[in-house]
This record gives sequence, C-alpha cells and structure tokens, in this order.
Amino acid sequence: MKIKALLLLALRSVGRNTRRSALTAAAMALGLALLIFSRALADGGHEQWIDSAVRLGTGHVAIQAPEYLETGRLEHRLDASQVARVDSALQDVAVEPYIKTWAPRVTVTGLASSAASALPVRIEGVDPEREKIFSTLPDQLTEGEYLQPGDRLHAFIGSDLAERLNLKVGDRFVLTGQTASGDVEGQLMRVSGIFHTGIPEMDERLVHVPLETVRRWLGVPGAVTSVAVLLTSSRETDRVVRTLRAELDHTKGIRVLGWREASPELDSGVRIDDYGDYVFHTILFAIIALAILNAIMMSVLGRKREFGILQALGLTGAETGWVVLGEGLFLTIASGVAGMILGLIVTWGFFRHGIDFSSFSSEGWSASGGIINPVIVPVFRVGQLVLSVVSILVIGTLASLYPAFRASKLDVAEAMKFEQ
Amino acid sequence: MSDHNGKAAVRTEDVWKIYPQEPEPVEAVRGLTVEIATGDFAAMAGPSGSGKTTVLNLLGGLTRPTRGKIWVGGQDISELDDRDLARLRLEHIGFVFQAYNLLPVLSALENAEFTLLLRGVPGEERRARVKELFDQIGLEGLEDRKPSRLSGGQQQRVAVVRAVVGRPALVLADEPTANLDSVSSDALLDVMERLNRDLGTTFVFSTHDPRVMNRARRLIRLVDGRIERDERQGDSPSTP
Repeated sequence: MKIKALLLLALRSVGRNTRRSALTAAAMALGLALLIFSRALADGGHEQWIDSAVRLGTGHVAIQAPEYLETGRLEHRLDASQVARVDSALQDVAVEPYIKTWAPRVTVTGLASSAASALPVRIEGVDPEREKIFSTLPDQLTEGEYLQPGDRLHAFIGSDLAERLNLKVGDRFVLTGQTASGDVEGQLMRVSGIFHTGIPEMDERLVHVPLETVRRWLGVPGAVTSVAVLLTSSRETDRVVRTLRAELDHTKGIRVLGWREASPELDSGVRIDDYGDYVFHTILFAIIALAILNAIMMSVLGRKREFGILQALGLTGAETGWVVLGEGLFLTIASGVAGMILGLIVTWGFFRHGIDFSSFSSEGWSASGGIINPVIVPVFRVGQLVLSVVSILVIGTLASLYPAFRASKLDVAEAMKFEQ
Repeated sequence: MSDHNGKAAVRTEDVWKIYPQEPEPVEAVRGLTVEIATGDFAAMAGPSGSGKTTVLNLLGGLTRPTRGKIWVGGQDISELDDRDLARLRLEHIGFVFQAYNLLPVLSALENAEFTLLLRGVPGEERRARVKELFDQIGLEGLEDRKPSRLSGGQQQRVAVVRAVVGRPALVLADEPTANLDSVSSDALLDVMERLNRDLGTTFVFSTHDPRVMNRARRLIRLVDGRIERDERQGDSPSTP
C-alpha cells in the first residue's frame, strides 16, 4: 500500500506545476522525436549510401577467389565449375528470399586507346540484363544506350574517358589487356553509350563491356573474377554471408565477403558517419538530461518542508527519494510516449517518401565510390526505435537519481524549518 | 502502545541535544528528564529558542539526541534505526505543525487518510474513519478541496484529523495555533480536547499561546533547554 501512496504522490507532483512539467515534457518529447527522426534519416542515408556504393561496386556480398581482393588479377578467378556451385548456392532457399539479384563479372585493368590518346581503364565484363537490375550505372546514361543482350563489341564508357579519347557514340576504340595465358591482346570496341556519374574515377576509368566478349578475348570461358550479390537490405548481409560461407567454404578456392570486407573504404565511411551521429545523439541526450535534472531539482529544492512532513508522517528517507524518482519517471514515460508518437508522425507521416537534399549541392552526391540519391528516405528499425525510447527512459531515470538522493538525505528537523 | 492504560506515553532521561556550531556548540536541550502519562494533554511553553520545537522533534524521532534516552510507549527510540523510527512515527505518533501542514497535491480527504493509506488500511475503512472525524469537527463537505482552497483553521483541523485518525498513542503539535485567529484557535483546541477525551490520545504541544497554556492540563515551562517549571493546571507547581 505504501507503493500506492508513493505513486499517488509522484503522479500528483508531476501535475503540481503544470507549466514547468509541460515545458520539461515538451523538451523531452521533442528531443526524442528529433532523435527518432534523425536516426531514421541517418539509417535511411546509410542504407542508400551502401546500396548505391554496392550497386556500383562489389555488391552486398562478393564471391571471389581467395586472393582476388588483394591482387585484382585475372589469374585469381573462379572457373566455370566454381561459378556453377556459386549459382546453385545462391538459389538455396536459406538465402534466396534475401537476394534481389546477382551479377557475374570479369574485371581487369587495361588500356583504352583511340587516335587521340590512350588511358588506363578498369574493364568490367558484365551481363547486360542482370547489370541493368543490379547497377545504377545504366541510369547515368547521357548519350546512346546501355549494353543490350547479344551485344558483342559494344562498350559503355564514362564521359571523361570519352572526352579524353575524343570518342562519341558509334566511334571505335581499342581495349588492351593481359589474357589468362599472359599475352597482351587488344580488342576493338564500339561506343554504345556514354555515362556521367560525377565521380571522376568512374567517369574517366570505368568501361562496361559484354561478359562473353571479355571471356573470349581474355581466354577465360565461363569464368568470373567476382559474383556480386545484391540483397534486399544491407542488414541481411551477415546472415547471407554466414549461410553462403557454410555452403561454399568446403569448396576450395571460393571466398565469400560481406560489403564491409569487400569495400573497406565504404565501411570506414559509414562508421565515421555513425560516430558523428553518436556524438550528435550524445549531445541531444545531455540536453534532455539537463532539462529533466533542472525541472526535478527546482521542484525538489522548493519542497524541503513537504518532504520533511512526509518523513514525519512515516516515510523513510529512501521512500521520500522514491517519490521524487517516481515523479521523474512519470514525466519521462509521458514524454517518451509523446516523443515516440511525434517522432513517428513527423518521420513517417511527413517524410515517408523521403527528403530531397539536392538543393544543398549543385554537383552530384557521391561517397565511397557510390552515387547517392539526394532524396533520403528515412528507414525505421524497430531495434533503433526501442533503443531511442529506452535511452530516453534511462536518461530520465539517471537525471532523477540525484534529486531523489537529495530528497532521501534530508535532515527532517532542518527541513521543517524551511518556509515554503 | 495504542492501549491507553495509564503508563507513560513518553519518557525522557537526561536528554541533551547539542548542535555543533562555530564558534561554540549550541546546547538546544540540556538534560531533559520528563515523563508524560498516557492520555495527558500537556503543553511545553517557553520563549523562542527555549528548545520547545527541538524537544518535540526528539520525542517524535525526527532528530536524535546527542545523549540520553527517550522512550515512546515503553520503547527506547534511541536504539532504533531510521527505518524503525519511520515505522514508529507512522504507527504510534501523529504530528501537527504550525503551518504548511498539508500536502498541497492532495485533497483534504486524501491528506487526512494519508497515514492510513501508508498503513495499508482498506479504502472504505479509511474514508469512513476520516468522514466520522470530519463530521465531528465541522469539515463535512470540504473533503475534495485542495489545501489552497481551505482557510488556515480548516487546514489545521485537517492536519489534526490526519494526526489522530490512525489512533496513535501520542500526538505532537508544534505551535498549532500560531497562525490562527482567536476563534479558529479556540475551535481547534476544542477539537483536540474532545479527541483527547474521547479517544484517549496523548497530546503534547509546544506553544507560547496563552490559550493553549490555559487549556493544557499540564504545563512544562522551558528556558534555555531546561525545564524551569512543571505544573499540573490547578495543582501546585512542581520543580524538577
């Protein structure tokens, strides 16, 4: 029954100074709403960033020969039988629901030359049909068209490369590369389309050519240097990597990498951005904690005599402290519920289709080798939502502890002298 | 302790309360030895600084003596820890203070029944006991009012109900009439006298109000923390 009395007092005390309680609750609720919104936006931004980067790069999951990540050499490739095993593994029911598509690729470095000039390039042999689903590169088309199924000698090149080699759609140029046997051989190609990503490294160096053409030219029939797997969400990466490793590990010469291992610079970028978010959230938490601490302390300091009366009536010091702690908790819980609802309404209600940040930069948005869509769509994660709410509750509790401690350590006889 | 059978409601033996202060410690209570019988209606009188409030705080376990012993209902409270002292106050002692007695967030009824709620008395019984006392002392119809909407006299009467509703052995009232006009003071004293007579509750006041002193059956005069005179009203004064 004492608990009932303590709860009654705590609850009533929250409503004692309505304006102060409302302002504190509003500060906390807005803080939580901002936290939920910024977290959802950060997660959405990261998801988009990762998605963009992996679509232009290694995929969420990269399946390669063990040495390929370090050497990038053609000799470290998967042969046709290994590719068949990988195909089979990717169709396994344990991973298939999480896979959007996958793209076999043969990637080598070589030289692109025209009558005007010669430049080092990264030649990527791709399956045009799969690549259209997988990659965002076809969407960056500025002239001509992307590779089509059945194309043999067509090439999709970047705008800077086209300019440096003085090439236009339909023009011919030569790609030179080292074959599997170690010979250096050239391949005449025709420009089918030109892309512009805004990323100099890609616009100047990347060339997409049909996979079968590269295989024939370099003498690696049925082989790939990498199978890039695109998942439904980056969050599924660990699960899929684990399953594929369990399935393919017994097959020597196949290595399964998650995007964090395959694209360490992307991993670092996301982590650094995460740290920035954590700093922001820590500051936000500190502000919320101070708001609660201030409100409860003000309330406690003005009620010494009242706490003295409570102890004269038969409460212990600790029980008096519980009243104050309960007050802080009621305020925190009410603010937490309000903040969560507000956060969900703002994030989902107003921005579910995304926020367009394109006006902040006239150039394209890119990071870690990926083109980022300037329209960031917030992503809700139940775990993050729960974490945000729990964090606020913890902060509210911690901020109430000191005032509660002060109330519990009151000298009753002294407190009774205190005029309210 | 709640059976009022004539034994001492409260007894002290050579109680001292010394506050360590600069430049010299303050001796608020000096060697107090007194016994107040169950059912008594006693007042401690004296000028400001004579130690009246400190004595009441000592008797109620709100502060601990520097030395000496205090028994409430036969129990040596000097030996009790904070938790047991709180329980003693809850179950055996009622308090009335001179002002700001009530919890402002609770209604008159909730204030009056608060100690019963703490003691786990069922709601119906709590309300019935409070209502009976409210009716007796003219508080009927004011149950739902917050303290801020009660007069000083009404607030003090609610505080008295709160102090006696749990039928404690001892009620300690620290200058209960200090902030009241003469009419309210008399009414409040009437109430306390009646409760003392009807319930047998022991009342100990600290006061310098002549009205309270005149009504008390025993008057203990304190000067500089010592008992200067201890007399039964109408009896010949006794000196300790």
